[in-house]
Amino acid sequence: MSMLLEVSGVSVSFDGFRAINNLSINFAPAELRAIIGPNGAGKTTFMDIVTGKTKPDEGHVIWGDKNISLLGMSESQIAREGIGRKFQKPTVFEDQTVRQNLAMALKNPRGPFAVLTHKKTAKNAARIEAIAEEIGLLDSLTRPAEELSHGQKQWLEIGMLLAQDPRLLLVDEPAAGMTVEEREKTTDILRRAAETRAVVVVEHDMEFVRRLNCKVTVLHEGSVLAEGNLDHVTSNQQVIDVYLGRSHA
Amino acid sequence: MRKSFLSENPSVLWFIAALGLFTLMVTLLSEATGAGLISTSFVKTLGKTLCLCLIAIAMDVVWGYCGILSLGHFAFFGIGGYAIGMWLMYARTEGIVLESLSGQTIPPTPQEISDAIGNQIFGVVGSSEFPLIWAFADSLVLQLLMVVLVPGLLALVFGWLAFRSRVTGVYLSILTQAMTLALSLYLFQNDSGLRGNNGLSGLQNIPGFESTPQSTIAIVFFLISAAALGAGYVFFAWIVSGKMGSVIKGIRDNEARVRFLGYHVESYKLFVFTITAVISGIAGALYYPQAGIINPGEIAPIASIYLAVWVAIGGRGRLYGAVIGAAFVSLLSSWFTGGGAPDINLGFYTIQWTDWWLVLLGVSFVAVTLLFPKGIGGLFDYLVRKQP
Amino acid sequence: MRRFFYAIALCFGTIMAAQAQELQAILQTHADEIAKPSRKTVNVALEDLVASGLPTVPGFLEAWVEKSVWQSSDGQFFIGAVEDDQINLRDVDSGAETTADKSDFKQLKPNGGVRRVIGTALVQFQLSDDNLTRRTTAVASIARRPAADQLAPLLASVEGEPDPVLKARKIQLANFLSTRFADNPEDRITAINSLAKDTSVEARSVLNQILQSSSGVAPTEPEGNIARILDPMQAPDAYYAQLVEAGFAPARTGPPVIRAALEANIVAGRVGNVPLAQLGTDAARERAYAALAKEGLAPPLVTTQTRDHALGEYVFYDLYDEPNAEITAAAEAALASVEQRVAFAQAADLALDGLSLASIYFLAAIGLAITFGVMGVINMAHGEFIMMGAYTGYVVQTFIPDYTVSILVALPLAFAITFGAGVTMERLVIRHLYHRPLETLLATFGISIALQQLAKNVFGTQARPLTSPDWLDGAWVISDVIAISYIRIAIFVLALLFLALILFVLKRTRLGLEVRAVTQNPGMAASMGINPDRINMLTFGLGSGIAGIAGVAIGLYAKVTSEMGADYIVQSFMTVVVGGVGNVWGTLAGASMIGFLQKGIEWLNPSNTLAAQTYMILFIILFIQFRPKGIVALKGRAAAD
Repeated sequence: MSMLLEVSGVSVSFDGFRAINNLSINFAPAELRAIIGPNGAGKTTFMDIVTGKTKPDEGHVIWGDKNISLLGMSESQIAREGIGRKFQKPTVFEDQTVRQNLAMALKNPRGPFAVLTHKKTAKNAARIEAIAEEIGLLDSLTRPAEELSHGQKQWLEIGMLLAQDPRLLLVDEPAAGMTVEEREKTTDILRRAAETRAVVVVEHDMEFVRRLNCKVTVLHEGSVLAEGNLDHVTSNQQVIDVYLGRSHA
Repeated sequence: MRKSFLSENPSVLWFIAALGLFTLMVTLLSEATGAGLISTSFVKTLGKTLCLCLIAIAMDVVWGYCGILSLGHFAFFGIGGYAIGMWLMYARTEGIVLESLSGQTIPPTPQEISDAIGNQIFGVVGSSEFPLIWAFADSLVLQLLMVVLVPGLLALVFGWLAFRSRVTGVYLSILTQAMTLALSLYLFQNDSGLRGNNGLSGLQNIPGFESTPQSTIAIVFFLISAAALGAGYVFFAWIVSGKMGSVIKGIRDNEARVRFLGYHVESYKLFVFTITAVISGIAGALYYPQAGIINPGEIAPIASIYLAVWVAIGGRGRLYGAVIGAAFVSLLSSWFTGGGAPDINLGFYTIQWTDWWLVLLGVSFVAVTLLFPKGIGGLFDYLVRKQP
Repeated sequence: MRRFFYAIALCFGTIMAAQAQELQAILQTHADEIAKPSRKTVNVALEDLVASGLPTVPGFLEAWVEKSVWQSSDGQFFIGAVEDDQINLRDVDSGAETTADKSDFKQLKPNGGVRRVIGTALVQFQLSDDNLTRRTTAVASIARRPAADQLAPLLASVEGEPDPVLKARKIQLANFLSTRFADNPEDRITAINSLAKDTSVEARSVLNQILQSSSGVAPTEPEGNIARILDPMQAPDAYYAQLVEAGFAPARTGPPVIRAALEANIVAGRVGNVPLAQLGTDAARERAYAALAKEGLAPPLVTTQTRDHALGEYVFYDLYDEPNAEITAAAEAALASVEQRVAFAQAADLALDGLSLASIYFLAAIGLAITFGVMGVINMAHGEFIMMGAYTGYVVQTFIPDYTVSILVALPLAFAITFGAGVTMERLVIRHLYHRPLETLLATFGISIALQQLAKNVFGTQARPLTSPDWLDGAWVISDVIAISYIRIAIFVLALLFLALILFVLKRTRLGLEVRAVTQNPGMAASMGINPDRINMLTFGLGSGIAGIAGVAIGLYAKVTSEMGADYIVQSFMTVVVGGVGNVWGTLAGASMIGFLQKGIEWLNPSNTLAAQTYMILFIILFIQFRPKGIVALKGRAAAD
């Protein structure tokens, strides 16, 4: 099976501190993956590298069927290649309505002149409504995003990711600050999304990871410590030492 | 499509209606076309104010909507003024020179004419040669093109450099201020080719209309300015209302997020920066024939900061706010500094507003920033929303 | 023993008596030349006078030059001074004074040329005068108007010169004179070579005088010491004018000449058979003119072609006034070597200028670096704090007349006042705008225009003086090329002190520790018991206070006006941004770069400081493109956004 994203031998340091150390990690075209690890393990930096925000000192990041290197591409180019990213803090455009937020994310030409002459079409409208339905915000389409609850904003952001129609979704702590019910719904959305694309979830919350019920990669000091299902990795002695050991000490 | 855009944005129609009404009123009351209750100089002031409103909405789009606090847009305004001023000055001087040479027995050669015009225009800076930048000064069409092209190209190059290296926020503001300062310092030189600190003058005399009274010229420019403001308003309203508006507001609120949505943020900023620069140039080209003179002092960084002040007081992120701010503050300013406001005698000290207006402006500006970040436009919104 | 002494004294006495008769006698032998001297004839008399070696000669010559020598009707010469109708006479030998009626005496009035000749003769006496001031004056007068005949007396006076400084000067001057007036060409060349290391203006002017040349034109290359052959095509019109002046070519018939000739020859609406209406082009005018020339009504047309042809026929050259080619070659070589040294010295001078400008920018910007760099607050009123500091200095000087004391009072007072202003501003305005940097920019701008206008209302629009103490006046002159004013040195020292002080405060004190803690992580700092509010207030006060002190320093060498702050604000921001935000060393680097750069550009384009500033700003804009984080960039994740 060919891989959707292959990260191999990537390292990056900040002022001598090695945030990512010879990291290699692969993702299949349609899978749900959770990445866990203690603070400073390099989870966010890993996402920064894949999405083009940080340039690694060495290593390769190969993408898609045509094996394109993502290094040297800008954030927006990478996003157009089909990698969507959700930030830890919900970042939706508070000033604008839910519909506008989704419309902006919708997969359409991204150039300024295409956007300037963009016309509303029934097809786009239907797509927006379908996504709104999926994230449970169909009734709120005309509401400004700032009026949404914290959980709804998280969903809206996931909805915006879906609207981009990416092949790889990077989701940073989607369940933070959610109620139990909201978490369940979030899990459902993510699992459905993973049926047709790769979804990578970075999460602290073990309960949430368990609920996702997927392959887990443990990062530690910038490289992969263990990989497998949750029970497998949590029984790994090394993982217990560095991760649980530290956080429960 | 235009129809649907207007029907979705009724405020644009309201604005156009108000502007039309105002224009009609002024026309009916002016000296040239009506009752003569409004003096020609006041018509000019109003016409100039309309141009300031036009650049204010451009500033609002670039700052209020796109989040780029440009302290350089008045430089584009000035460039527009210089571009049209070159033609006005050249064509008028040419007329005068041809007339004075026509009395001679031998008809003048092109070289003699050009020398005489050069002497007239550049005598004050001790030169008579036409610098290269005056190459198109004899053609109105080409100079009109310059009004659009020079600010546009400058904004394009500067913006491309600045945005591609991700200079944002206050850094960008300072950089634009530096650009403005460099331009005004350059123009202050005598060998800048634009008459140094003398600037270009006599611009109120329109070549070909020497016999037309100033009152008529004033009202014509007023009407053109009003039309330009109306068109500019509709144009910008169209830009900021659709999906483009969504994206540029998104850039203002969270640039990184827009980038991760796959938009090439730099192109959008560049688009907005350049298009507003072009409109600023046009506003300047309409303003200076009414002002009659342009000099490098007009382009000094302070002018661009005042522009930001108007927009901030009027209310950012709403086009009519910018119009209100520019009109309100600039008219108030000319009222206070022109000696219109009565002095206040405190017994031990008399407050003369010509001296104290800037203090008042500065302090009230601080107050607006602190207490009413949405400006007058915000107040307007609040009242409109309260009504129904 | 005693008799012997008497004998000698007697001997002297008789000699003196004999000599006393002699001066009047010498004068009488040359009575005509002295009474009606001309530049040519006076020399004979002067030579005899000088040769006599009489001690009374200098006094007489001085009096002669000052037109105080009078001749009686019987031909005797006296030194006299007029008092009403009377004249007080002094005998030229004995000095005995008498009074007589003025009408019997005739005043000698040598003309300017003669007086100069007499002066030259006088110099050799003055060079060995007992009075140091007179000797110095004599040397200065030679330096002012060097002439060939001064060389010998000057050399002669060197040996006996008691004052070491003046002696050195005499030797130097003799050397200068030798380069031009020594008899032997080898001596001249030796003297010229010895100037190869002297960068003084005087030495350079000596060399330039040797190299003086005059330009000329001739059909063939002339005899003589040719400096260079010139290429007339470099400026054909100017060289052609030279040809015309030399009578080698007819005057140029430029457009105005053609025009005048045409106007003078209008016949029935036509000139040279060309209708007037067609004369609107140069080609038609030349055609008409050619027709006139053919009829002999105008001199022939000199076209560009004729001009160039004529220029090719002649040699244009510069001819050295000095005929000896070896000497001019030596002088050229010496001058080249001097100029190289001067260039080095100028570079050093430029570096000093750059350094002092950098110090000023550093002082102006360091307060800003603290508020902008450390707190992330942009303070457009920073320039007005500089202005407040300068006005504080001015006001203090109106109360304390002693400039030294007033500056010492003004420095801490300016700090206190601007510190207070800064704290007030932080409390009232900036505190409410943290995390809204653009709005802070605008609000502080509002304060800036209000403060500026306020200063204008209080102090008026004209510049106020802030006078530096006497010991800061003047300059440290290293050579004719390198000099630096003491004020600039003081500002440099002040900048160094501030650098040290700020580094100390930030790195070694509790306040500095807390400031850095709040900068890096306000939340964490607060949870550790640091009050971020207090720290922000103090930091802002500190930054503003430093601006106040900078204001006093800047006011000392620049004018104090309400707009002085605005002159520095953009440069200050540039300094901080170019250097790298949040770093004192960065500000230093930024100030150095901008200071040296500006001086460097001014040097390339000295006539135009406006252009220099323009180019510098353009350079900075480009620089920021390539190093958006400045010279000293913070690295790591903290700097990523």
